[in-house]
Amino acid sequence: MDFALDKLETRLGADWSSIRAARAKTEEVVADLGAALSDLQDDAFSILVTGSLGRGEATAGSDADWVLLVDGRSDPEHAMHARDIGNRVRSVVSKEVGRSGTFGGIVASHELVHYIAGTRDSNENLTRRILLLSESRALTNPLLRERVIQNVLSRYVVHDRSVQSRRGIRQNVPHFLLNDVVRYWRTMASDYASKMWERQREGWGIRNVKLRFSRKVLFIWGLLASFAAELFPSPELHQVENDDEYYRLLSNLIRSLTDVSPLELLARVVLDCEDRDVGDAIFSSYDRFLGVLANPEARTKLEEVVFEEALAEPAYAGLRDTSQRFREGVTRLFFDAHPKLPGLIRQYGVF
Amino acid sequence: MRPIGFSTGALAKGDFARGLDLQRGAERIDAVELSALRDHELPALAEAAASLQLDAFAYVSLHAPSKLQNLDEETVFGLLLRLPEWPIVVHPEILQTPSLWQSLGRRLCIENMDDRKTTGRTVEELRELFEIYPDASFCLDLGHARQIDPTMASALRMLREFGDRLRQLHVSDVGPRGEHLPLGATARRSFAHVAHRVPGDCPMIIESIIAPEAMEQELDFVCAALEMTLTHAASA
Repeated sequence: MDFALDKLETRLGADWSSIRAARAKTEEVVADLGAALSDLQDDAFSILVTGSLGRGEATAGSDADWVLLVDGRSDPEHAMHARDIGNRVRSVVSKEVGRSGTFGGIVASHELVHYIAGTRDSNENLTRRILLLSESRALTNPLLRERVIQNVLSRYVVHDRSVQSRRGIRQNVPHFLLNDVVRYWRTMASDYASKMWERQREGWGIRNVKLRFSRKVLFIWGLLASFAAELFPSPELHQVENDDEYYRLLSNLIRSLTDVSPLELLARVVLDCEDRDVGDAIFSSYDRFLGVLANPEARTKLEEVVFEEALAEPAYAGLRDTSQRFREGVTRLFFDAHPKLPGLIRQYGVF
Repeated sequence: MRPIGFSTGALAKGDFARGLDLQRGAERIDAVELSALRDHELPALAEAAASLQLDAFAYVSLHAPSKLQNLDEETVFGLLLRLPEWPIVVHPEILQTPSLWQSLGRRLCIENMDDRKTTGRTVEELRELFEIYPDASFCLDLGHARQIDPTMASALRMLREFGDRLRQLHVSDVGPRGEHLPLGATARRSFAHVAHRVPGDCPMIIESIIAPEAMEQELDFVCAALEMTLTHAASA
């Protein structure tokens, strides 16, 4: 497969070896997990990974956030499968999944599809839904994952439309999706503060760094996916005369982006920029972030750094500085350098 | 008018003669698909083909065996060649020797598959098949397409990309194990979203497994689904 990321690296004469190593590590772990779960094929469920494995950014210290996504009839046996899957995943990736309970169990498609916003949409459901779109990968039954994503996206794109403009122009940026993506980004930031409070700053350093990098690329993926009709237009989409068909195909176009990792999608957009510094600021910074995470000693320091002494800890302080360059690159991309993004952000990003 | 009728196998499993009898003379039925879904049904059907009374049907197709259990590929192909020039609907997994099946040209009618199969399920997989069988026609199974993608975006893409090959539709609901069921209310709404892409003269073959007394109601449901107009408000 040709990666935009590799093309960009070559064009800039850069060396993003940590990104490449993480991609290779991901493939290795996914292959091992796939082999460990290969006999658990079933029409009614798909076993997914999210997190770093979903983004193609696994390092030696990564855990394996997995879910048993059920799209079909409920069956008590699914609980038995979930326990079995947990054991098998641990035999490949020993690090425990996070303690929030968002991952490592059964997720029913019904809630993902039907409880979008409104009073029944929990923080957990929002997280699962957006991560399904932005950083999930199927270990078994990929068509089921695809089907659930199609259904979720149809809620955002097909079933929520604004009144057509007076000039007859279609709304090609799905506001519902965009709003949920923005909501999720702000939720992640708020949850960071909440966990600081609840856990008395335990593990705050690595969460802070992830918020600056890997959580931010999820937000970027969501923005780019919401702008898909403008950024990644397919000829067939613009030939459609029937409104219903248009929105179904737009939903399908966004679905195709759910197979593209956030970094890869970002690279596709950066390739459209003439400003070479943008790509370097974004990806060289991200490469450094993954390089630190891949270093067990540095990762431990990030996990254990004391809040009051943070700037004296080189692993944290260095990444904090790097994150500012990353943010500057992303800001330039969205607000200045890209031929389309500044207009889109101005029109849809805030007001 | 769009020719419409049932698969003989849907009305009478393993008994094409009864499946035909049940449809002959029915007021709205003018299409039929002769089913030899199980390969042991094919020899008898090939034997009887020339003498079948099919005057009531403006459109006739044959569904080839979906699996090779008792006969080998060459034998099946030889039996199919003995049939009149009907379109031959096939599941991609029986196409083991491309050169054999390529010789059928447009008579070869490739059907899109459900999620239990390993190929022919998506636009991308069908595209690969039509590269191997460039002259083949296309049977769009709406139930299969909906099982893969309930939003029907994939079915729309199939119709947009392979519409010029479209030879017939298969219509039914599809259950969790891939079984063909009577058309449910949700499937009817889903199918309505692609109706504008189906030419008015494209034959519809109903595959819903039903009792003979339910034929009229199933015809009503199928016709209504393909004629239903969904406003945006109604679809939301």
